Amino acid sequence: MAADMRLPTIRKQVSLSSSLSALDGKDLVVPGDVITSDTGFMRGHGTYMDEEKLTASVAGEVERVNKLICVRPLKTRFNGEVGDVVVGRVTEVQQKRWKVDTNSRLDSVLLLSSVNLPGGELRRRSAEDELTMRDYLQEGDLISAEVQSVFSDGALSLHTRSLKYGKLGQGVLVQLSPSLIKRQKTHFHNLPCGASIILGNNGFVWLYPTPGHQDEEAGGYYTSLEPVSLSDREVISRLRNCLLALGAHKVLLYDTSVLYCYESSLPHQIKDILKPEVMEEIVMMTRQKLVELEG
Amino acid sequence: MRDTPLSNCERDFLLKAIQEKKRLDGRQTYDYRSIKISFGTDYGCCFVDLGKTRIMAQVSCELITPKENRPNEGLIFFNIELSPMASPAFEMGRQSELLVKLNRQLERCLRNSKCIDTESLCVVSGEKVWQIRVDVHLLNHDGNLMDAASIAAIAALCHFRRPDVGIQGEEVTVYSTEERDPIPLSIYHMPICVSFAFFQQGLLKDQAVPLEIVGICPSRDGGIMLLKDQVLRCSKIASVKVSEITELINKALENDKKARKTGGKFGFAESLPQERITALKTNVSPVEMSDVKEKANEIVQRAEVPPQTVPSPVLTAPGTGQVGEGLENSWGLKEEEEEEDETVELKMELEEGMRRRGEVTWWSSQTVTARRMMLSS
Repeated sequence: MAADMRLPTIRKQVSLSSSLSALDGKDLVVPGDVITSDTGFMRGHGTYMDEEKLTASVAGEVERVNKLICVRPLKTRFNGEVGDVVVGRVTEVQQKRWKVDTNSRLDSVLLLSSVNLPGGELRRRSAEDELTMRDYLQEGDLISAEVQSVFSDGALSLHTRSLKYGKLGQGVLVQLSPSLIKRQKTHFHNLPCGASIILGNNGFVWLYPTPGHQDEEAGGYYTSLEPVSLSDREVISRLRNCLLALGAHKVLLYDTSVLYCYESSLPHQIKDILKPEVMEEIVMMTRQKLVELEG
Repeated sequence: MRDTPLSNCERDFLLKAIQEKKRLDGRQTYDYRSIKISFGTDYGCCFVDLGKTRIMAQVSCELITPKENRPNEGLIFFNIELSPMASPAFEMGRQSELLVKLNRQLERCLRNSKCIDTESLCVVSGEKVWQIRVDVHLLNHDGNLMDAASIAAIAALCHFRRPDVGIQGEEVTVYSTEERDPIPLSIYHMPICVSFAFFQQGLLKDQAVPLEIVGICPSRDGGIMLLKDQVLRCSKIASVKVSEITELINKALENDKKARKTGGKFGFAESLPQERITALKTNVSPVEMSDVKEKANEIVQRAEVPPQTVPSPVLTAPGTGQVGEGLENSWGLKEEEEEEDETVELKMELEEGMRRRGEVTWWSSQTVTARRMMLSS
C-alpha cells in the first residue's frame, strides 16, 4: 500500500495527423477565426459578422449547407432531438409534470401523461395520481427516458412509455460530454464482461449490474435494493474508470469501444487506470483495436 | 445557468458527515476559512478573501442636498452587485432573490446599527451633506457571501478618507487631496455578520457552496424551529468570532497605514505577485504538534516489527514517485502478493533515477518524512 506523489506536467500535444483520420476533411475553428470574407453566405449558429468577415464565435467544426455556414461546437450542452435516449435527474415535482436535468440549456419536462403508471397502459390519470406523483419520482431520482418532442424554446419533452425506461436503481453515473456519445440503433447494452450500460445521448452514462430474471410486470418503478456482489461491483468500477479514460482522450463512446477499453485495462489494477500514463496506454491500445476492426 | 443538482449519494454523505461533526475540508464546526484583507491604492477600496470567495468594496462620496425630515444628517447608500464573473448561476441585470436578501441584510447591518456618525457628514445644514456610497462587487462565489460582504464593507468604510471642507460664511470650499489631507469617517463600532447554517443534525459556520444547497436558512418561509439555547449558543460563538475578525481588520488597517507613511508599496497591484504562481500552492496550515513525540513513541512501542519495505521514495516515471511501498494496508482488503524480482528492479530504478535527476537533497528530506510517517502509521 503506497502513497503516490506526482509533479505537475505539461500536457502533451496530441498531433491530429496520427489520430482520427476522419477529421481530415473538416475545418476546425476557434472563436475569432475568420471563416470566409465572401459576403454571399448566410450566417448560421456559432458565427457573427465582424467588419464584413464571417467569424466563428465558438470552437468547433464548420458546416456548410449550400449558402448557409454554421459552426457546430465541440463542447456544448446537450441539444436533444426526437428519439434520443437520455439519462436525467429529477430536480422538481410540479403540477402534472416533473422537471428533469439532462445537461441541456433548459430543464427537460416529463409529463405525468407520458409515464407508465401501474395498472395498465390505458389507465386514466385521476386527481389522486397528481397528489401521489412524489411516490413515483422524487427530487434526486435518476431516470432513463426518450425524447418525445422539442418545445419551441428548446426544452425537451420526455416520455418513459416503455418497460425499458423508468427509474434507475443501483448503479454508477458517469457524466461526460454529449458530443462523445455515438448515435446508434440502441443505447442499452448488456456487456459480456458482466455489467449493463445505458449510453445516454446527453452524455450521462449509467452502469448497472445486469438484472437477473425478474418479473416483467414490475417494470419501470420497481428498484431492487438487493446487495450487489463484489465481482459485479469490481466490473462496474473498472468500466467507470475506463469511461473516464476514454472521455479524457476524447474517444467516441459506443459499446464496442467501451468493451475494447475494458479488455485492454484488464492487466492493470482498477485504481491504476486513473493514472495519466496508464490511461494513455489503455486508450492507445483501444484505438489500435478499433482501427483493426475497421480495416 | 443553474448549478448542477447534487446527487442523492452526495447529499446523504454531507448530512452524515455533519452528524459526525466532520466537514469536507477538514475544518471544525465553528471554524472560519482563512480571511485575507487587503486594500487598494485609493482610499476606500478593500478586497476580502474568505477562502475562495472574493469580494471588493469601494467607498466614494459626493455632496448632495439632504432629506427634508433630516436636514443635518448625511446619507449612506449600499449597493451589492452579483456579476456572472462570480458564478455562472448569476445573470447580469436580473434581480435575484439572493441579491435582494444580501442588499437588505447589509443595509440592516450597517445602517440600522448606526455605526457611522451621519451628523458628522453634514456640511451646511439643510443644503449640503455628504452622501457616502458603498459599492460591493462579488468577484468569486464560493459560499458565505453575507459575511464576506459585511467585512468588506466595514473595512472599506474604515479605510475611506473624505475630502476636507472649509466653510467661510456662505461659501463652501472642498479641498482636493493635494491641498489638504482627507479626513477619515467617524465610525463608532464595527458591525459584522456571522452566518450559521442549521441542519437537522447539527449546525455549522461559514459554509462553502455545496453545503449551502443542502442546508436550511432560518429566515426563509419554510423555516425550522430553533431552540432558545441554540440561539444563545450561536450568539456567544458569534461574539467570539466577531472580536477575532475585528482584530484582523484593525491589523490590516494598521499595516496599510504604515506602508503609506513609510512610502512603501501598497495597493492591489502589490498583492498580485503573491498569487501569480499559486495555482498549485496551498496555504501553510498550522498543525498541532505539541504531543506528537510521545504519541509516536507509544505507538512504536506497541506496534509489531515493521514489515519489509522498499526504500522510499520510488521513482516509477519522471515526475511521479511512490512512498511506503510494501507497507501493510489497514483497510481490511486483500492485497495482491508482491513478487521478489520486483523489489530488485525497483532498487535499480531508484538509483538510476537519483543519478539522472541529481536532486538528491530533495529526495532525502522526503525519505526522512516518509520514515516518520511509517513510524506513526
